[in-house]
Order: sequence, then structure tokens, then C-alpha cells
Amino acid sequence: MFALVGRSVESLRQVARGLGTVLMHAARNPITKDFPDSMPHLAGHFRGRLALAVNPQSGDHLCISCLQCERVCPDKCIEITSHKSPETNKPELINFKIDHGLCMFCGLCTEVCPTSCIINTNDFEMADYSREALVYDLRKLTLTQDESAFYFNKKELPMPKPKPAKPAAKPAAAAAAKPAPDKPAATPEAAAQAKPEAKPADTAEAAKPAVAPDVDKTKELPKAGSDSAETKPEDKDSAKPAENKGEQ
Amino acid sequence: MTTATVTVTAPGRLPTTDGNIWEIWKFIRISAIWLSIIFGAVWLASYAVGGLIPSLLDKYMATSVAAQNIASILRLLTPLVAVLVFIPINATYMVLAERRGLALFTVRNGPNRVGPDGFLQTGADAIKLLFKENINPTGADILMFTLAPIVFFAPSVFGALPLLPAVTSENGLFNVLSFPTGIFYVLAMSSIPVVGIVMGGWASNNKYSLVGGLRSAAQAISYEIPLVLAIITVCIMVGTLNVSDIAWMQNPWELSQLKGADALARWDGLHVDSQAVQDLRSIGVQNLGNLAFFNWNIFGGDTVSGFLALCIAKKVAGGAMIFKGICALLLILCQWLLCGLYMTGACAEINRIPFDLPEAESELVSGYNTEYSGIRFAIFFLAEFTNLFIVATIAVVMWFGGGSAPIPSSMYAPVMDALGFIASNVNKLLFMIGVPETAPILDPKVMSGTFWAVSKVYFLVYFAILVRGTLPRFRIDQLMDFGWKRLIPLALILLLAVTYLKELI
Repeated sequence: MFALVGRSVESLRQVARGLGTVLMHAARNPITKDFPDSMPHLAGHFRGRLALAVNPQSGDHLCISCLQCERVCPDKCIEITSHKSPETNKPELINFKIDHGLCMFCGLCTEVCPTSCIINTNDFEMADYSREALVYDLRKLTLTQDESAFYFNKKELPMPKPKPAKPAAKPAAAAAAKPAPDKPAATPEAAAQAKPEAKPADTAEAAKPAVAPDVDKTKELPKAGSDSAETKPEDKDSAKPAENKGEQ
Repeated sequence: MTTATVTVTAPGRLPTTDGNIWEIWKFIRISAIWLSIIFGAVWLASYAVGGLIPSLLDKYMATSVAAQNIASILRLLTPLVAVLVFIPINATYMVLAERRGLALFTVRNGPNRVGPDGFLQTGADAIKLLFKENINPTGADILMFTLAPIVFFAPSVFGALPLLPAVTSENGLFNVLSFPTGIFYVLAMSSIPVVGIVMGGWASNNKYSLVGGLRSAAQAISYEIPLVLAIITVCIMVGTLNVSDIAWMQNPWELSQLKGADALARWDGLHVDSQAVQDLRSIGVQNLGNLAFFNWNIFGGDTVSGFLALCIAKKVAGGAMIFKGICALLLILCQWLLCGLYMTGACAEINRIPFDLPEAESELVSGYNTEYSGIRFAIFFLAEFTNLFIVATIAVVMWFGGGSAPIPSSMYAPVMDALGFIASNVNKLLFMIGVPETAPILDPKVMSGTFWAVSKVYFLVYFAILVRGTLPRFRIDQLMDFGWKRLIPLALILLLAVTYLKELI
């Protein structure tokens, strides 16, 4: 009998303790993020929508049509169309399609890419009205120069070297590229129509200064280490072809 | 959109250690607005039906027999109108309060999109539910299926009626309902909804719903016993079944202020005791009047406060005082236990967490209301929240002093004076327009009583939300075990103890 009373008193005490704990929780800040109002603070290695980067400095498209991403993709959601350029005898990109409805965002394609062209952006708002709309083509995939620069910075990728001027096409290409930095084929239309692409960069950039900068750094630092470790082989890869080209 | 951005940049959102005052403040703001809407609407409706229209008919159509009949019918209908206006708006608020309150307790934001701070969220939900399709599952017994929500809901309309005069300081509008077996009627009504649940579970032609319905029946039968025993014990202590008398007896000072010697005589008449006891009670009234608190049943009611009065008057001393003091303390302990017992039983009776086995989402996919959609589901939902309110009201009337203030009346006297001033002027203005003087719209005494009663009721409702946020669900065998082997014996022991302690003091 006394044991029973003792037990019930003890259990009542425990219930009261639980109630007190939960009541105290009311004084804590909610952990919910006000998502559409304030963008989440995403890490550089966040695996969002896939995109193709351009050279942040020159605006050249980085894809060399090596088809490695297409080969490595477990979902077979990448489809690259290219042909061999008659002048340079190198593959030249015609179209690049990614079916984001199939993609599982494993990031294997970004790891295998020798030029860090295909990258996971921080954009995750890809809801659309049809499956067809999730198939992104080259125009939709290619980032602008600014966006590429943003992601190269954020992911701490080594800046690609500018494309060496081809011996044959040298004067024409150089002349075309230099005076008009915004000339690169894909960029203007991409910027014009690629509304979803403009968003993450803008908002992320806008959000960045709004958040306390030191918090940002502390968050970024450990991740930066792991990032660079991850991208090391990629660094070599991306460095090599560039050097090769330089030698050529 | 602008309001949303404001909330984002508001101080509460910054990741600092300032706590969550901003969210709590928003919760309070929403509650204050909703509660003013609820009680403003109820008061205006019941005033119009029970006060204004009948007295206009009395005044200007005094010769017409038909008009007189209409007036008396309207007077009788007033409580029903009040309850029917009250239930939907109140449930709308309570669902919102529950969702936002739970969000506070679980460190979330809760609904904050529809209207400012999610103010209109449940209104939108209600409208959506009303426009949804009424689906009849294959093989369902359509008649029973349709009747079930009604059987579930109707008792919460009619069951609440006798509580109205108790929480509104026996307002003249609701006096019709002040009948001598009030609490008995409320208890009888509160056991009907189980039938509705079993009907819903059976008629759905769904195994899970049936299990939910049967669980509900088993649970209600087991937990009704401690619940009723707890209430009966209080009735034994106070000596009446009349709900408004129980409320008044915990509030003798205001009673004497409001109703004068007449009401005090009635109060004493309830205790056909010797002259000595009556003396004692009047001393108690004088000495403890300012602390109405001590007359609440949870502190032993007027049995203990009368004893305290005797002690203050030095009419009892020495060994007798010590013995009686111990008895008084035991009585207070018994009342606390009874109150807890009642809360537990009531939680089980209205199927709230931790006793929500009939609708256990994880096991029975919402139990008896799985197959319901549209307005029928809305009625189930409405009744559930109304039941919570009724249960809290019963607790307030039985243990927490009905309309008596938890603070000394001198503390809020200036507010009462101001209210009295406003009320008299508003009433004068209305009388000048031609409203008969028999129907004053504002009465500060009634307003304060109702205010305190309703605040206490909502305090208990918030407590129920806290419990919901804390405790896990019982298993069915644990539930039965707890009910039959723990609560019922405890209730019987307490019944016995209170009966003797009351006589000993």
C-alpha cells in the first residue's frame, strides 16, 4: 500500500516534470524557418538543381563533351548531344539535357566532371506543372557568368583557366571574346529566360550579408575543408586538361 | 505579404537568447481578439433574443396576447441561442489555440499564413470542410452513418445549458436553467456521445473505425465511474446538485454584495444546520470575504473557510483546533486529488491525449472518424472541442469557484468602478432611445463574474493543450488497468474520506 502510494507520488512528480519541461519550451525560439520569406542558409556542397557553369572570367562554356557525367549517371537522366568539330577535331557541345524528374541528386556527375562544369546549385524550388517541364535543356541549364562566379566561390572550386586560343581560330575567337565580354553564345538568352537560375544566386547573395557574417564563416569553415578534400581529384583533373590545352 | 516580412524582421526572429516573447505575444494577441469576438457575439445574440426583443414587445405591444407569447418563447430560447452561437465560434478559436499552443510547446511556429498570424486559419479550414463532398463508404449503414455525428454533437449543445447560469453569475437571461438537479443532468448528457462514436464506428463498415468505436465505449464506461464519483463527492460536500448554487457557495462575499440578504438566506437555507453553524458561516463571510479564493472547493469550500473563520474568531482552540486543522488539511488534499481524478476521467471521456485511443492516428488511422468527410467530419470535430470546453467549465464550477475572482476584489475595484460608470451611461443612452429599462445591456457584476469564470475555463483548456503536448498515449491494457485498478478505488476512498472529514470539521 505504501509502496503504491510512493510509486504514484513519484509518477505524478515525473509527469509534473515533463509538463514543466514542455512548458519551458514555449520560451524557446521556434526552430522553424520561414521558408518563402527567408531563404535557408545552404552550404556550398548542398546538392540542388544541376546546372552547367561557364568560365567566370571569360564566359566560355566549360563543358568539353567528355560524356563522363552521362556515363556515370545511375539514373541515365543526362543526355548529351555533341559532334566532332571539323576544325579542332574535338567534341563540340550541341545540346545538354537533364531530366530532373529522373535525377536523384546523387552528385556523381559533379564529382566526375573534369572541368567542374556540371555543378549542383543551391536552388531547390523546381516545382512545375508537368514532367516535361522538368527536362532542362542547354539554355536552361547554363548559368550566367555571375552565377558561375558565385558558385565557384561558394564551392571553393579552383577558377578554370581561360580557354587557350586555338592556333587556327585564334584571331577570330580572341577578337570576338575580348571586346564583348557578354557575347558568349548562351549567356544573354540564358539570363533572359533562366528566371529560376537568377533566383538562387540573387537571394543567396542578398541573404548572405543579412546573416551575421561571423556565423557564416564558422559554418563554412569545417565544410570548406571537407569540400576541398572531396574536390581534390577533381582539381587535378580540371587542372590537367587545361595544362594540356596550354601545351597544345 | 508585408505583414509576413515584418514578422521575419521582428526582434523575436533573431537568433538570440531573448526567448520567444514575440511568439507568445502573438498567441496572446490572437486569443484576446478571438475571445472578444466570441463573447461579444454570444452576449449580443443572447441580449437581443432574451432581453431586447421581449422587452420591446412587452413595452410597445402590451395588449397583444400573441406578442406576449412570442416574448416568453424568446426568453426560453435565449440559452439555446447563446450556446448555438457560442459553439462554432468557440471551436474555431480553440482549434487555432490548440495548434498555435502546441506549436509553442514543440518549438515550432504553427499556422501563421492565413490572415495576420494565422488568425483566420481555422475559419478557412471550416469553410473548406463545409464545401467538401459528403462521401458514403461502400457498405456503410447510411442512416446510422449520418446520425452518428448528430448523436455525438447534440448532447454537447444541450448538456452545456445548465452551466450557463453558473458561469454568468446567474444572469437573468439564463435563469430558466437554474434547476435543482443541474449537475446530474450534465453528467447524464455527457455520457451520450459515446453512443454516437460507437454508431459511427459500426456504420462506417471499416475495421479500424469499429475498433476505434469499441475502444471508445470501453474507455468511456471505465472512466465515467471515477469521473462521476469525483463530482458526487463534491456534491456531498457542498450539499446540493444545483450547478449555480455550487458556484455561488464558493463565492459568498460577492453573493451577499450582489443579491443581498435574500440570497444569503438561500445560501444558509441549503445547510439546515444549527444556529451555531449559521453564525460561523456569516463570520466566515465577513472575515474571508475579501479572499474569495479560500471558498473554492479545491481549498475545501466553505467547510474549511468556516473553520478558519471560527479560528479567527477564537471560537475554537487547543486540541480541538489542532485535530480539526489536520482534518481540514486532509480535506484539502482530498479535494486536490478529486480534482485530478476528475481531470483524468474527463480527458478519457472526451478522448483527448493521453487517452485518445479511439482515434489513435498511428494505430487506427483516426479511428471512428476515418470514413467521415465534409460537414459530418466537421461536426465530429466541433463536438470534440466543445466537449473539452464543457469539461473545463464543469471543473471550474465544481472546484475553482465559478465566477469568483482568484485575486482579492479590492485589487480590481477601480476597473469595476470604471465598468460601472461606462455601463450606467451606455444603459442610460439606450433607455433614452427607447429601449425598455428592464433590459440593461451591460451589468458590471455579471461581466466580472463571467470574465473570471471564462478565464479559468480557458486556463484549464490551455492546460489540456500542455498535457497533449507532453504525455504519450496509453496502451489499451494500461488504460483499463489504470481506470479500474487505480482510479476507481481511489475515487471510492476519497468519497468515504470526504464524507467523514466534512462531518469531523
